[in-house]
Amino acid sequence: MTAPGDFPRRSFVARKLDEAGAGFGSLGDAAVALDFGDSAAEAETARRLGLADLSPLPRTGFKGAGAVEWLAGQGVEVPAESNRAARQSGGELAARLAPGEVLVLGAPEAEADGLPAALEAAWAAEPLPPGTPRGFPLPRRDSHAWFLVSGSEAAAMFAKLCGVDLRPDKFPNLSIAQTSVARVSAIVVRDDRGGTLAYHLLTDSASAEYLWDCLLDAMVEFEGRPVGLAAVRALGDG
Amino acid sequence: MKIMPCPLNGPRNISEFACSGEVAEMPEPNRTGDEDWADFIWMSNNTAGVVREWWCHVPTNYWFIAERDTVTDEILKTYPAGKVFTARRDFQGRDEGP
Repeated sequence: MTAPGDFPRRSFVARKLDEAGAGFGSLGDAAVALDFGDSAAEAETARRLGLADLSPLPRTGFKGAGAVEWLAGQGVEVPAESNRAARQSGGELAARLAPGEVLVLGAPEAEADGLPAALEAAWAAEPLPPGTPRGFPLPRRDSHAWFLVSGSEAAAMFAKLCGVDLRPDKFPNLSIAQTSVARVSAIVVRDDRGGTLAYHLLTDSASAEYLWDCLLDAMVEFEGRPVGLAAVRALGDG
Repeated sequence: MKIMPCPLNGPRNISEFACSGEVAEMPEPNRTGDEDWADFIWMSNNTAGVVREWWCHVPTNYWFIAERDTVTDEILKTYPAGKVFTARRDFQGRDEGP
């Protein structure tokens, strides 16, 4: 039996996941909730309304003068406008949070470190001080919890928690809203998975357990439930 | 809910923002008397009418400038601080002045 405590890294909501009966597996150095006992049923739940914890997955950020240009030089497709995201060839997302700031989210389908770790290593491998400005790294794996809210009822659920109109016809795929969700600052990135409406939700890791409970409470009337990473991956398969 | 148009994020609830007071030009620190410096640091004009103020969108920590009518509490326009502060401003040291 794999337990989150067996790994160097575990989710900010690992205790909540454990209480909910999660089955954990390894993802690099981290324990990740793969399912809650029935991944086939969870895949169905994820199409209606599911909440998955992606906090153990790799992610990073870069900010400051020259950061966007440096990322482009590394082969990352960075959106021209702020508050838009672009999908990369490996399924990762580059989310432009401001003219000089990009958040890189690893792909839920990927097994381990992937693009975020490769970019961090590439940045660190270049000499300091930089010959040309390349911004500075902004690690996001410890600062932010990362959830995925998916399913046809997701926008209706968000309407109870968030002032920004996230309905699919008002908030196009790969749009970003940096706003307040359930009274805590959050980054919302719409990223439909295999035709199912889905939103990444990143928030201060210190608020992770609070927001996890808030979301589950708001999901009750839609019969939404926690789902594991296996169900998220199944969405991506279509 | 009152709405603030953020230059980066668009229209948002005013509860997502913090106001940090009026935009004031900084006097040269080394050529300013204590009284004028204290005036710059601590005093505000409290104008009845249109003022320029610093505002911050808290979820993004994005600072910008808003023009607001303090009589009607209407937000007239907002723009990035770079529209006002277009160049770096260097001050001479205390001993370098004439």
